[in-house]
Amino acid sequence: MATPGCRDFQNSFESWMEGELPPEARAHVSDCRSCARLIEDLSSIRLAANEWNASEEPPARIWTSLRAQLVEEGLIREPQSKQKSGLLHGWFPQTPRPVLAGAYLAALVAIAFSMVGPVKRHVNHQRWMEGTENSTAMLSAQLNTAEQNVELADPNPVITASLHQNLAIVDNYISLCEKSVSEDPEDEVARDYLFDAYHTKADLLAQISERGDYGR
Amino acid sequence: MGCVPAGNVARTRRTEPGELPEPDAIRLAQQGDAAAFERLYRLHNRRVYSLCLRMVSNTAEAEDLTQEAFLQLFRKIATFRGESAFSTWLHRLAVNVVLMKLRKKSGNETSLEEVTEPDEESGGPRRDFGAPDLRLSGSIDRVNLQRAVEQLPPGYKSVFVLHDVQGYEHNEIAGIMGCSIGNSKSQLHKARMRLRELLHEALRDQAREERKVAGTASGSGGED
Repeated sequence: MATPGCRDFQNSFESWMEGELPPEARAHVSDCRSCARLIEDLSSIRLAANEWNASEEPPARIWTSLRAQLVEEGLIREPQSKQKSGLLHGWFPQTPRPVLAGAYLAALVAIAFSMVGPVKRHVNHQRWMEGTENSTAMLSAQLNTAEQNVELADPNPVITASLHQNLAIVDNYISLCEKSVSEDPEDEVARDYLFDAYHTKADLLAQISERGDYGR
Repeated sequence: MGCVPAGNVARTRRTEPGELPEPDAIRLAQQGDAAAFERLYRLHNRRVYSLCLRMVSNTAEAEDLTQEAFLQLFRKIATFRGESAFSTWLHRLAVNVVLMKLRKKSGNETSLEEVTEPDEESGGPRRDFGAPDLRLSGSIDRVNLQRAVEQLPPGYKSVFVLHDVQGYEHNEIAGIMGCSIGNSKSQLHKARMRLRELLHEALRDQAREERKVAGTASGSGGED
């Protein structure tokens, strides 16, 4: 049964939550087992809540799915070949596209797609995954070789920095897509995005190559 | 109730050298820049996901809610003018998305004010401190706490998760929840008091089960 002291304590307790108890409240608590237990319990709850605050990394598929939705709604630009050039579009909008310069890189993507295909529905998923891994490894290696052979240095340091930045963005995107596919090999959207990411990088390298040829 | 958002929730991932600062990312996202959208997502995804996870205690639902919160954010980002902190705005959206979900689940068409201030008959706190016979100290584990939090009314749950779990200040919560600082404090107190009751109930149930098991064991032990 609450004593008048307890009632006073209870009525004022809410305003003391965040700070020290005033002396009269401390005096009451030292004499009242019930209110002392209350303080002890609430402290335990705060402590347990604080320990519950482990920040958790959300799965990569949230961004993959969110991005797809944003593209579908037209809120962000789909990285299709014409718009992919938007990564560099601001720097050299008038650059013509010599056919031969990007042919090798375009062929890489075409070969990869013809070997496995970005999405084959209703197929054995294990086989698809194995095929994807092989194809991805080969395509990834070829893209890396192509990247090493492409001249990334431009006389204009701003453009050079931009090229590196754009490649880093695409590489991050590829890593993200690879992670999504490895987390959920049956996620067809993730597979689509992985191949699209490779396509984006190939296209970007092709444009850099074009830029180099044009500048020479 | 109904106060102007005022908080500044600044617990985002730190910007490393060379990374796009948040104001630039917001400006570029308003122009439809894909990388800027991703940058904003990466800056805030952990806290929004953690908030959703603590509120619904279900990873699949938390993922859906996180996606929905960011989707709403990006749909409206062109209208963001910086009157309030971006993170406050985002967290307010996230809390509203979660509350809407909880309301739909319970089939309860109540307003935000009502879910933050349930009346005494609908599970509100009782001003009865009583003298619980079991001590909570040392007996609250993550599972117990999660189960108890799940049973809180949505408004209490929001304030408790934001303040005691995620560490937001009352002025920040007021901004997120669209309420007064005093209201945030009051809701938090009621939430803790209700949790205390729920945790004591859980401990009593647990003790009862243990006694039953012990009784069964001693009863069956004599038949061998």
